[in-house]
Amino acid sequence: MIDTLAVVETPEGIALQLRSAGALPRACAWALDLMLRFALMFVASIVLGMLGSSGIGLFLLVLFAVSWLYPVLFEVLRNGQTPGKRVMKLRVVNANGTPVTWLASIVRNLLRVVDVLPLCYGFGLVASLCDAQGRRIGDLVARTLVVYVESPLRAAAMPATPAVAPPAGLLPAERAALVEFAERSARLTPERQQELADLLAGLTHARGAVAVQRLHGMATACVGRA
Amino acid sequence: MKQEAFQARYEPEWHRFERWLDAREATKRAQRMQADAIMPASEFALALRRLCQQLALAERRDYSAQLIAHLRGLAQRGHLELYQPRPPRLRVVVDFFAATFPRLVRAQWRCMAVAALLLFLPLAAVVALLQVHPELVHSLFDPMQLAQFERMYDPALHAERLGRDEGSDLRMFGYYIYNNVSIGFRTFASGLLACIGAVFVLVFNGVIIGAVAGHLTAIGHGGPFWSFVAGHSAPELLAIVISGGAGLHIGMALLAPGRRSRARALGEAGVVGAKLVLGVFAMLVGAAFIEAYWSSIAWVPAWVKHAVGLGLWLLIGLWLWRGGRGSAAPEVVPDARG
Repeated sequence: MIDTLAVVETPEGIALQLRSAGALPRACAWALDLMLRFALMFVASIVLGMLGSSGIGLFLLVLFAVSWLYPVLFEVLRNGQTPGKRVMKLRVVNANGTPVTWLASIVRNLLRVVDVLPLCYGFGLVASLCDAQGRRIGDLVARTLVVYVESPLRAAAMPATPAVAPPAGLLPAERAALVEFAERSARLTPERQQELADLLAGLTHARGAVAVQRLHGMATACVGRA
Repeated sequence: MKQEAFQARYEPEWHRFERWLDAREATKRAQRMQADAIMPASEFALALRRLCQQLALAERRDYSAQLIAHLRGLAQRGHLELYQPRPPRLRVVVDFFAATFPRLVRAQWRCMAVAALLLFLPLAAVVALLQVHPELVHSLFDPMQLAQFERMYDPALHAERLGRDEGSDLRMFGYYIYNNVSIGFRTFASGLLACIGAVFVLVFNGVIIGAVAGHLTAIGHGGPFWSFVAGHSAPELLAIVISGGAGLHIGMALLAPGRRSRARALGEAGVVGAKLVLGVFAMLVGAAFIEAYWSSIAWVPAWVKHAVGLGLWLLIGLWLWRGGRGSAAPEVVPDARG
C-alpha cells in the first residue's frame, strides 16, 4: 500500500498526521520560486543597472541573497513556506512535526548542492522516489519533511431527520460509519446515496430513498440529537 | 457522552481557539496584535492541552470523522504555534561566535587538519615548483588569463587599486561575497558525496592559488601580489579550510558512521556542519570586506599590509585556539530539532 502518512506522537498525547508531498508538487513549487527569483533579479538588474559599477556589486549581493538566503528566510520566518510552496499548499516541518528550525532549514537548503547533481535534481529525485516519505537528500540529513497543508473541511451539517433507534449491538466503528455517511450526504447525489444505502438493506430493511432516510435517522440518534 | 452534547459543551472553546490561531497566523501585523484580545497568550498552553485532551476523547469515543478532523486540524495548528522557533537573541549570537564556533572547530580538529593539508600542501608545492619550472604555469592557465593576472599586479603600472582590472570597491565586495561565500557553501555541501567534492574543491583551490602566487612571484610581480593578499588571506583561507573540514566531517558520517546508524550520523554531522557554515559565512563576509576595502589600497606601504595580515592570522588563530575555553558553563544546546 502506498501511504505517505506519517504519524508523530506529541508530548501532549495526540498523534499528528503529516502527509508528505511527493516529487511533483515540490518540483512545481520550486519552479514557481524560480520564476519569482528571476523576476526579482530582473527588477534588481534594471534598478541597479543605472548605478554603474557599484550597481553591479549590489546586484551580486542581491544574487547571493536570492540564491542562498531566500529559501532559508522564507522557510523559517513564513511558517515553513516559500512563496512557491505556499501556492502549492506545502510546508516544511521538522520530522517531529514542529516548525522548521534555523539549522535544519540551513542544512536542507545548503544540501541542494548535492541534490541537483548530476543534473536537474537527479539525486534528489532518486532519493525522494526511494524514500517512503519522499524526502530528498537534504531533507534526510536535516531531518525535515515537506508536508501538505491540510485545508480544513468546513463541517457540513447533517440532514435534519427524525432520530431512528439503531439496532442494538452496533460496534462503535459501525456507528461512526453511519454518522460519516450522514455527514457526507451533502456532497453525494441522491442516486449515489441510495446506491450506498442499498448495501445496508440488512440494517434498514428498506431500499431506495426510505433506506437513506433511515440511515440518516440512525446517524442522528448516534450523535445524540433529539 | 453523545457527540452532540460534547460538541455543544466545547464548541465555544474551539471557536475561540480557532479565531486566536487565525489572528496569530495572519501575515499582517495589525491582525496579529488582535490575538491577545481574543485570548491572552498565557492561556494558550492550557487551551492547547484541553483541546488535545478533547481530541483524544473524540477519537476514543469514535465521534464522527468530520469532528475529529476539525479538532485534529486545530491541534496541528496549535502545535506549530507552540513550537515556533524563537528569533535568535543577541546573547546567543555573541556566545556562538565567542565560544560555540571555535569549540566546534577544535572538536573536529582531525577533519580540519586534513582539510588544511589538502589546501596548503598543493598550494606550497605549486608555488615552489613554479620557482624552479616557471613554464609549467602554461599547463594551468591560458595566455589571456595569465596576461590578466600580470596586469592586475604589475608593479610598473602603479595602479591606484591593487588586485583588479576595474570596478569600484562596492562592485568587488559584491563579487567577493557572491563568489567566495558560494564556494564556501559548496565546499561543505559537496563533502556529502563521500568527501570527494570537498577534497576536490580544497586541492583545486590550493593548486590555483598556488599557481597564481608562484607565477607572479617568479616573474617579479610578487610585491604587489603578496601585499594585496596579505590582509584577507587569514579569514579567507581559514574559512575555506573550515568549510572543507565540515564537508569532510559529513562525508565521513556517510562513509564511516561508527556505532550510529547512517541516518543518525548524517543528521548529527548536518547540525555540526550548519553551525560551522554559519561561522564560515561570517569569516568570508569579513574577508570580502577586507579584500574590497583594505587589500586593494595601493598607497599603504607593503610592510603595513604584511603586518596587518600577520596580525589577523594571529588573532584568528588565537580565537580558534582559545575561544570558548575556560568558560565553565557547558555548551547550551539550542533545541535544534527536538
